[in-house]
Amino acid sequence: MIACLRLQVGSPPRQSKMIDKFPYGKAPFWLFVMAIVSSVLLVALNRSASERPDLILVTFTAAHYDAYRHAIPRFEREHHVKVDIELTHWGSLQSRLQNAILANTDVPDLVEMLEGSLGFFTRGPTVDVGLIDLTEKIRAEGIDKRVVASRFSLWTTQGRNYGIPHDVHPIMLAYRRDLIEQLGIDVRELDTWDKFVEVGRRVSKDKDGDGVIDQYMIDLPYSGNWALIALMLQRGGQLFDAKGNVAFDSEETAQVFDWYLHQTRSKDKIATDCGWAQPQMKAMADGLALFFITPDWRSKAYETDMPHLAGKMALMPMPAWTKGGRRTSVWGGTGLVITKRTKHPELAWELAKFLYFDKQELGQRYKRTNIIPPFKEAWNLPEFSEPNPFYSNQRIGLMYAELAPQTPPTYSAAVDGTARANLDQAYSRVAEYYKAQGDTGLMDKIRFELKKSADHVRELAERDQVFHRQESP
Amino acid sequence: MIRVRPQQTKGLAPLLFLFPYLALTAVFFVYPFINAVILTFYRTNGPRSRIFIGLDNFRFLLNDQTFHTALWNTTIFAIASVCLQLPLSMALALLLNRGDDRVKGFFRLVLFSPNLVGQIFVGILFSVLFTPRYGLINRTIQALIGWGLEERWLSNPKLVMPAIILTSLWLWVGFNMVYFLAALQSVDKTLEEAARIDGANSWQVFWHVTLPSMRHVVVFVVIMSIIGSYQLFELPVALLSSTSGFGPDNSGLTVITYLRSVAFQSGDLGLGSAVGWVVAVIIFTISVIQVRITNVVED
Repeated sequence: MIACLRLQVGSPPRQSKMIDKFPYGKAPFWLFVMAIVSSVLLVALNRSASERPDLILVTFTAAHYDAYRHAIPRFEREHHVKVDIELTHWGSLQSRLQNAILANTDVPDLVEMLEGSLGFFTRGPTVDVGLIDLTEKIRAEGIDKRVVASRFSLWTTQGRNYGIPHDVHPIMLAYRRDLIEQLGIDVRELDTWDKFVEVGRRVSKDKDGDGVIDQYMIDLPYSGNWALIALMLQRGGQLFDAKGNVAFDSEETAQVFDWYLHQTRSKDKIATDCGWAQPQMKAMADGLALFFITPDWRSKAYETDMPHLAGKMALMPMPAWTKGGRRTSVWGGTGLVITKRTKHPELAWELAKFLYFDKQELGQRYKRTNIIPPFKEAWNLPEFSEPNPFYSNQRIGLMYAELAPQTPPTYSAAVDGTARANLDQAYSRVAEYYKAQGDTGLMDKIRFELKKSADHVRELAERDQVFHRQESP
Repeated sequence: MIRVRPQQTKGLAPLLFLFPYLALTAVFFVYPFINAVILTFYRTNGPRSRIFIGLDNFRFLLNDQTFHTALWNTTIFAIASVCLQLPLSMALALLLNRGDDRVKGFFRLVLFSPNLVGQIFVGILFSVLFTPRYGLINRTIQALIGWGLEERWLSNPKLVMPAIILTSLWLWVGFNMVYFLAALQSVDKTLEEAARIDGANSWQVFWHVTLPSMRHVVVFVVIMSIIGSYQLFELPVALLSSTSGFGPDNSGLTVITYLRSVAFQSGDLGLGSAVGWVVAVIIFTISVIQVRITNVVED
């Protein structure tokens, strides 16, 4: 054996001789070999790559991805086509998709988008819009009459419709039914926010005398954020008007700011911020807050994450701002758009309708997600009237569906993200003022800060107009 | 035996082997560098449409309150990095420099390890630790001083920057400590010994002998810390994820987060490039001043 090794060492292989003969030394030889091998591999792998399917759909929510994976094989069989579905993170999808559209590279045929993002994809000159205008198709096929009207607003800009809505996302309040009953509260009487606050002041208290309040009426984020917008929409305020103009410096928003400050930051506050995900689940289990703002999609998250609260939870419509007023609001929204670069626009439209309006699919999808589709005919399906054991056997599908037509419209603009951020900043400044000055001059300060923020967003929106001005004759 | 190779510096072969490097540098460095200068004079809609606007992007930045806030926040963070982080790193390095090698190795690993997991992980971790009522930090403060259980580190504009600085201390102190420890170990011990024999106390030995001996490393670490501070991005984005890294009233907004927002969320690559150049000029100026001061002190 050793002799054999010696023999091998003593007689170098042919390859090392080849290296020695290479005129530029060993390192360049290996660089040369690596270049050749990687080039060959690149060509070989490209050849073996599978062909592009007829349609590619990208979504950003795992629940939708799972639901579509079950549904798509039937579509493939019926149309004799191949459809691929991909799941990705929304943050990366939004910027990469827009840049890919603008750079004329390969993009998916259909994409699910998050609320507020249409303006992002329709900003700049009209020629840059990479989405197919679906207005005529929607009207021609009567889809606009079969879907909750307010939900089209998210996917409409300058009067043109670029997407179809996936959901309604009406809001109710989820509550700890067991604790509420122990406290002797009749939720049917909580039909206005005034009554809600009145009861809230009674039940928000330090139960164990350690100086820290350990039972609050409701969970509201300290910095306003999504809850502030949901309440603003319920009261009739808007981030943008139907034409996409900044509109949040309204009296409705000012009134909501005032109310929100008092419920989250005053001495007799009724709300605490339970946070998100695990901290919120812990707070809910501990009974730290009794009521939780709950759009349809969030009701499923509670079911999944807190099975030990099954039968102890229930849902009720939001209290109205005035007696007989709107008992719901809206939080979130997804829609489906078709990109201009698709080679099969008609097939993509068929897939969009199949996924969003096929009744056979919608019933099962509701059971998996609790999400109310905007397609009104689906609400009569038996799945929507099934009692839900987690929510004390309430028929939550019907409850959400009854509220769905009341959901306020929400409009989109290119500066959507900036507007949301500036609304939060205005609230933050007002909150600092309230902490220092209390109620003195509060409403004037609120109006001043709202206008300041809105004007800043208008200024930023104006920068985008430079493209449209150049387009105008 | 010296082997003579053929004339390898002549002909096309050297250029051929240099080509991949030159091509990559041209595509990923030279072209973006030149393009970033050109873009500052344009209003863009992503990579496709652009309109020449002259110096309007710089004029906009000069008047934009949000950019000023971002610059101020970043500067505060940079000052905290130099004034808090580096002395702490130095103190730890001095402490470890005294221990035996096994203890030194163990603590070096422990203190350096936060750096192995990355800023996103640390940001997410601390966003949980800072959770009101249930977070470890709030519970510990409450247990120690009977206050702070419901303190909202990430929702209170006044506490956001302290929270970011605290998190960055945990992340970077060990990293800088390793530099200082390496420098300390290379300091000439006979000089320190001589100073002690001459009657210098520990502080005098450190200030007059040890620190000047490691000044090049200190200057390097200070400059790198300032550059790193002005590039702060992932940590606040992960820590303040609910506000996309901005924080309440922009209290956690840094210049790079601002750059990301205008360039990739608003699609204005021209304005983004202008922000990038402003940051580059600031870092360059601070670095030059730093090196000049060090040279003056040395002279």
